[in-house]
Amino acid sequence: MTAITGQKDEKRSQTARRRNTLMPSRLTIALFLLPAFLLYTIFMIYPLVQALIFSTFEFNGLVRGAFVGLQNFEQLFSRYPISEQLPRAFVHNIYFFIGTMLIQNTLGLLFAVLLHRPRFGKRFFRTVFTLPYLISPLVVGYLWSLMLNPLFGPVNATLRNLGLGSLARPWLGDPATALPAVILVNAWMWVGFPMLLFGAGLAGIEDDLREAARIDGASNLQIFRWIEFPLLTPVIGIVTVLTFIGNFNAFGIVWALGGVDGTPAGATDVLGLVFFRTAFRGGADAFGLASALAVLMFLFIFTVSVLVQTWFRRLESRMQ
Amino acid sequence: MQKKTRFTALALLAIMMLAIMGSVVAQDDVTITVWSWRTEDEDAYNEIFAVYEAANPGVTVEFVPFVNTDYNNILATGLTGEGGPDVVQLRAYGSLQPLIEAGQLLPLDDLSTLENFTPAILKGSQGIQDGHIYGVPFGVQALGAFYNVGIFEELGVSEPETWEDFIAILDAAAAAGYIPLANPAKDSWMLPILHDAVAAPRYGGPEFEAAVLAGETNFNDPNYVASIAVLQDLQPYLPPDVVGVAYNDARTLFITGMSPIFIGGSFEIGFWQSEAPDIEVGMFMVPPPPDSLAGSFVPSWMDGSYGVNALTDSPEAALALVEWMGTQEFGQLFTDKIHQISPATGVVSSDPLLAEFAAGMTEHPASYLLLVNFRYGDPSGTTVLGNELQRLFLGEVTPEEVAAALQTGMEQWFVPANTE
Repeated sequence: MTAITGQKDEKRSQTARRRNTLMPSRLTIALFLLPAFLLYTIFMIYPLVQALIFSTFEFNGLVRGAFVGLQNFEQLFSRYPISEQLPRAFVHNIYFFIGTMLIQNTLGLLFAVLLHRPRFGKRFFRTVFTLPYLISPLVVGYLWSLMLNPLFGPVNATLRNLGLGSLARPWLGDPATALPAVILVNAWMWVGFPMLLFGAGLAGIEDDLREAARIDGASNLQIFRWIEFPLLTPVIGIVTVLTFIGNFNAFGIVWALGGVDGTPAGATDVLGLVFFRTAFRGGADAFGLASALAVLMFLFIFTVSVLVQTWFRRLESRMQ
Repeated sequence: MQKKTRFTALALLAIMMLAIMGSVVAQDDVTITVWSWRTEDEDAYNEIFAVYEAANPGVTVEFVPFVNTDYNNILATGLTGEGGPDVVQLRAYGSLQPLIEAGQLLPLDDLSTLENFTPAILKGSQGIQDGHIYGVPFGVQALGAFYNVGIFEELGVSEPETWEDFIAILDAAAAAGYIPLANPAKDSWMLPILHDAVAAPRYGGPEFEAAVLAGETNFNDPNYVASIAVLQDLQPYLPPDVVGVAYNDARTLFITGMSPIFIGGSFEIGFWQSEAPDIEVGMFMVPPPPDSLAGSFVPSWMDGSYGVNALTDSPEAALALVEWMGTQEFGQLFTDKIHQISPATGVVSSDPLLAEFAAGMTEHPASYLLLVNFRYGDPSGTTVLGNELQRLFLGEVTPEEVAAALQTGMEQWFVPANTE
């Protein structure tokens, strides 16, 4: 026994020694990491810290004034009208996220499943569904605001020509339909993204599992429900987190569809627009206030993303 | 090796000497950089500055325009360090204050040509805290109603004298299948414009302005509330689903002849001329609505000014240029080439529509109340009223609630003179 363990120990130390000679020194590793680390620090960490510092100061235009502690944060929740706009925008972001999960990501999953089994046209449809997200959100927004235009837009014109004139609406001018319209347009643009991720996830599931289930007499739907869907959990986690981050940072497409005030009457107002208005349309002290809002948004998005990811990881390990 | 290094060093030295000598020789020649948000006026400004360059040998004026919507940010950065402009186009009233408070502009109180402007105009480039003037005004804008002369002839109507005439025209246009008023409500900034152009007589124009600034009344004043209700009365004449109709849709309605009247600012004139040269456009003041406290007005505001960067390398040349921009000569060139109203005394516009706005402004003067007086803090008056009027058109709020929201918003930062 002791002889065997002794041998093992020797082997282990040998491999360790070999690894040591092959492994570059710590300095080399550090040198290789340096460029990326510097870029990351200068362009990510530094602005974040800067925003945190800015948020505790008073501003006069671009000139920094006195240290005011948490006063800017307090102002966000007490100064009219931002104190009313902020909660409203936050709720809209939540709607935006739920709507996107239900519509965009469900459709993305459906398309991925439909396009998974190799048949003709697979590549064509994949390309078609992913094309819109190659276009700038602003272009997509303007395109759809023209399509949905109540006076000249083809959407209402088509409805009227089909005899469905009663369904014609000022889509972006009615508070009841404006945010759903934004969610749909955003989904139109991004649906290819979850589709690609789910597609890759489906391709990673071994066919043996499906075959075994089929031999046991499972239908396609049952295979999806009991084999494929549970095994997609990690991908669903990633898609959820990315959707969350994307939706809570939404700006371009909402701005193009509803303008900087989130028309009509603030029905499409989101946190990104509130931030933009505070920073660039606010008074002389706008920068401190806007930085405070940016810090809060970052903390919220960061915390929730970490929580969601941890939850999905726990779910995964429980399933295994 | 050593020889080579020595040679390089000598060569570098020689180059540096030449560079220094060059700059000594060129000292008399100055290049003044002018930043602006008017990309569309680049050619016109170059022609105008050519006149100045011809009269001032050795001075070169370089006009650098930026995209309008990015201009404020670009300027804010450009004024903080090197490589910035010498002369800058400045926004007016409240939008100008951050630059003044940051000390980024030179005060211009000593420029002789400021005499060519009225105090009301100069208010647009005045520091609200220190009272100094920081810009030489270049333009003014005014509000009124544009109409399609052809459609008016077809309907057999002429410019309205009374509110009844005005409503009769709108009814006649509706009966003939037109959208009587082209105005939009999706772009909320157009709504306070509509309100002031139509309803300033109802709340009393300049008299109300003086009272509200002095703290003798506020926006909850029944007359101000009633002026908001006037817009409710006009809603049936606006495009259907008006809150879905954007600014450019509304302008399209007007230039395609689908709508005979567009109520807006004098800044539209250039657009009508370039996009619809075949349509003959006229202008009238909207007659006073019932129970008005005053006659019609042509509400106006100072559009912007030219100031001097506090960090400029050539302050004297920059000040000289800006001083010239306050002369009648510049004003005349400006109005002739850029087709906007110049606020300098003695300038006469050759464009009949512009001349009509300019004459209306002098004969029936009023401030575009919320832009001139209520953009010095956050939220701005025009923003609050615009958003609330949208809600009014959606039926979510009453005129009383619109006025109350405006009052609440202004109370956040506005301190009336009497309570100071």
